[in-house]
This record gives sequence, structure tokens and C-alpha cells, in this order.
Amino acid sequence: MTITVIARNTFKEAVRDRVLYLLLFFAAVSILFARVLALLTVGDRVKIIEDVGLASISLFGALMAILIGTGLVYKEIEKRTIFTLLAKPLRRHEFLLGKFLGLVLTLAVLLAAMSLIFLALVLAHTGTLEWNLLLAVVYIFFELVLITAVAILFSSFSTPILSSLFALAFYLIGHFSWSLETLLKKLPSGATRTFLRFVYTLLPDLENFNIRSEVVHQLPVAGAHLLYSAAYGLVYAAFILGLAIVIFRRRDFI
Amino acid sequence: MGLKTRLDRIPRRKIPGSSIIYIPSGKYLKMATFGYSSVLADIIYIWAIQYYGNTAIEDRYTHLIHIFSIISELDPSYIDPYVVGALIAVEDTRDVALALKILDMGLAKNPGQWIFPLEAGHYAQLYLKDYALAKEYYRKTMNIPGSPAIARRLYAASAFKANDLTAAWETWLEVFQASADPQIRKIASNHLYEVKAAIDAGTIRDAVARYRAKSGRNPAALEDLVRSGVLARLPKDYDEKDYLYDPATGQIKTQVAPWKR
Repeated sequence: MTITVIARNTFKEAVRDRVLYLLLFFAAVSILFARVLALLTVGDRVKIIEDVGLASISLFGALMAILIGTGLVYKEIEKRTIFTLLAKPLRRHEFLLGKFLGLVLTLAVLLAAMSLIFLALVLAHTGTLEWNLLLAVVYIFFELVLITAVAILFSSFSTPILSSLFALAFYLIGHFSWSLETLLKKLPSGATRTFLRFVYTLLPDLENFNIRSEVVHQLPVAGAHLLYSAAYGLVYAAFILGLAIVIFRRRDFI
Repeated sequence: MGLKTRLDRIPRRKIPGSSIIYIPSGKYLKMATFGYSSVLADIIYIWAIQYYGNTAIEDRYTHLIHIFSIISELDPSYIDPYVVGALIAVEDTRDVALALKILDMGLAKNPGQWIFPLEAGHYAQLYLKDYALAKEYYRKTMNIPGSPAIARRLYAASAFKANDLTAAWETWLEVFQASADPQIRKIASNHLYEVKAAIDAGTIRDAVARYRAKSGRNPAALEDLVRSGVLARLPKDYDEKDYLYDPATGQIKTQVAPWKR
């Protein structure tokens, strides 16, 4: 119940943030820019529109999660509203979970808005509503849930600028970690390889949520992949949130 | 705005095509895209179209395979770049081998796409006149589910030109039997007529050679081949008509051209 109240207020607070609308504006421009880019190609124009549209939703969604998420907890501490809140019968983990869910709700609404623009643009070109594209958006959402958890984690102990940098680093590492597998294949078995495998398994692999290419090319995506990557995202996010709660509980605000 | 206009008017020395040296290998580039490899593939493809249309860059075709390999690494399922890359290789550089290499790369990464072997077969047939190679590409095309019916006919036609008469006969027969379209059946029938004539002409030519070896001259009529015991019976054409024979030249032909039946 308390979590819901915090979540609702976080949503209200987030939708008042001007940065959000600025990012939404650029996302819309970027999606619509796909139309211009498509004019320059030879062959399938819809492919370009779908690629650029989904990439814009993913990129701007991640920026929204990072830029808003990293300021959420910090602002409460900076403005000292946290004292008023924690003086009430509110547990610290409820506060964090409420913040997290509020931002996830905000992102869901924004993703819906971006998807609407995107689907309308595709509809204008193909004459059909390509609902299958929404599968890629759903997995972008799972990725954003994880990034939001990371943003909340850093926000619980660091400043917004540092948190943004950390969260951005997490995002980049998450999309780069798959390349460690290439390195692993080249390494002979031994301690280095075992260590690297441990690092590879521990690091987030955000490419698990990237099914944009398969969706655009209408290639089949294994049901097991969809199931396990969704579970991976949720479990990883739960772990990060757990970590954030532990850190936040130990913080002394006075 | 005034300053911008002035700046644009100042001529600057540019080296056409210099930008290409910055393009690394596709494998490493993919790592640097952070999940946006498809978009980068689109951008490089669009850039490549503009680049190859720029006649000021004289050596622009030097890195053609490199550019299209990068796109292929970034988005292996993107069909257009393979087809357009091969088209540039054939039409602009007349490098059919390069075009076939690009199309082979496309097929290796997309085994379910019949467009690649179909295009490759077309180039092998049209530009290389290598009908055996074209036949092989068309065979691959017709074995891919969803390929157009014309692939089988192209295979049969190239098999005939590659002198694989058995394959040509069997395939045209399949086309004839499988099609309900009267026009396709007529085309297949004409080809069967032509293939049978080629097979029979070979049989008769061999028999004439044996007759000449035996009697020291060409037979005056084809019936002499049966009378002398060189042939058990004279083959008839697809319409059960006799072949025409010229004793002076030894040439054998059908009474009508296949397309005038």
C-alpha cells in the first residue's frame, strides 16, 4: 500500500520533469527522421524505418531511465524531504521500491507513447499495423527495468552526475560484455579463462533483450530465449534492488 | 546565417574517397555499436550507395567487398546490400567473380533466401556464359522452399546449354507434368522437343560415324542406318515425326524449329 503511494507520487513527480519531455521530443524527432533516412536507401525502406524507430525507442528510453532514475533518491536527500518521509511509518525498502515502481510506470507510459508514434509511421508506409514490432518494445522495456534498478542503486549513495556516469557505464558494459565470449573462445583453458568466464557470467548482458533485428527481419525467436531473458532481466533487477536496499538501509542521513 | 553562407563559399581541398580509410573490420565495429549494429548497417549501406554513385572517386571500387562485408557482419539478414553490392560489382566494374562472392556471402548467412543463388545464376549465365555454374546456382535456388517456379525452368535451360541433356530432359518433364498452366506446359513441351532432338541427333551422328567407318561414305538416307544394322530403329522426334538428314554434310535437324511447332 505504502509502496503504491510512493510509486504514484514518483510517477507524478517524473511526468513533471522537463527533461522527460525534452527526451520525448527528441525521440519523436528521431523516429520521424527514419522516414528521411529511408528516402535515401535503395530497396526496403520499411526496414530502415523499423531499425531506426526501434533504436530510437531503446536509446531514448535508456537515457530517460538513467537521467531521471539517478536523481530520484538524491533529490529527496538533497531537498531533505527524506526526513519527513522516513519519520512516517515508512520502511526504507518500501521507499526505494516505490521510487523504482514509479519510474518503471513512467517509462512504460513513455514507451507506449513512443511506440504509438513508431507504429503510426510504419502504418503510413506499409498500410498494416505491425503488432509483432511490439515484441521488441516489450524486451526494450525489460532492459529499461534493469537500467532503472541500476540507476536507483547508484542514486541511493551517489550524486546524480556520478550516478548517471555509473549507470551509463553499466549500459555500455551490458551491451559490450558479449564480446568477452569471443575472447573466451581464443583463450586456452586455465585460471585466466576461468576468471574471465566468471566475469562474463557476472556482468550484465543487455544484448539478451535485443531482439530488434530478429523482429525487423521477421525471424523466429526461440520461446526459451524470450522466457529466460525476461526472467534474467527481472532476477537481475531484483538483485540490484536488493543491493540498493542494503546500501540505503545503512545510510545515515543526519 | 550570413557567416555560414560565406563559409560555405570558401573552397576547401577535399580528397575524394578519403573517408573510407576510417572504416574498420565489421567484426570489431559490431562490438562498438553497443547493440545498435542494425542501424549502423543501414547507415553504412546508405552511405555506400552515395559513395559508389560519386564518379569523382576513381578507385571507389577497390574496397567494395570490404564495405559490403562490414554491412553483412553488422546485419547478416539485411538482403538489399548483398543484391545491390553484387549489382554494382557487375554493372559498374564488370567483376562478376566479385558479385558472385558477395552473393555467396549472402547465401551463407541466409540459407533460406533464394534471391542470392537466383541472382548469381543470372550473372553466371548472362555475363560469364558459364552454364554449368549457372545450373548449379539455379539448382540451389529451386531447392530453397518458397523459390519461384521459374528457377526450375532456368535450371533446365542452363542444364541444356551446359550439355547435361539428361538433367534438362528430366527437369523439363517435371515442369510439364507439374504445371496446370497451358502456357508453361507449351514452353516445357517445346523444350522437351528441343532436348529430345539434341539427344537423338547425338545418337544418329554416332550411328552415321559408325556407318562411314564401315562403308567409307555417309548413308544416302537415314533408313540405310537400320538396313545396314548400325541402328536397331530410327528415333523419331517428340512429335513422332522423322528427322531431316543432309547426306552431304551429315547434318540432322527437326522438321520444324521448337518454337514454331
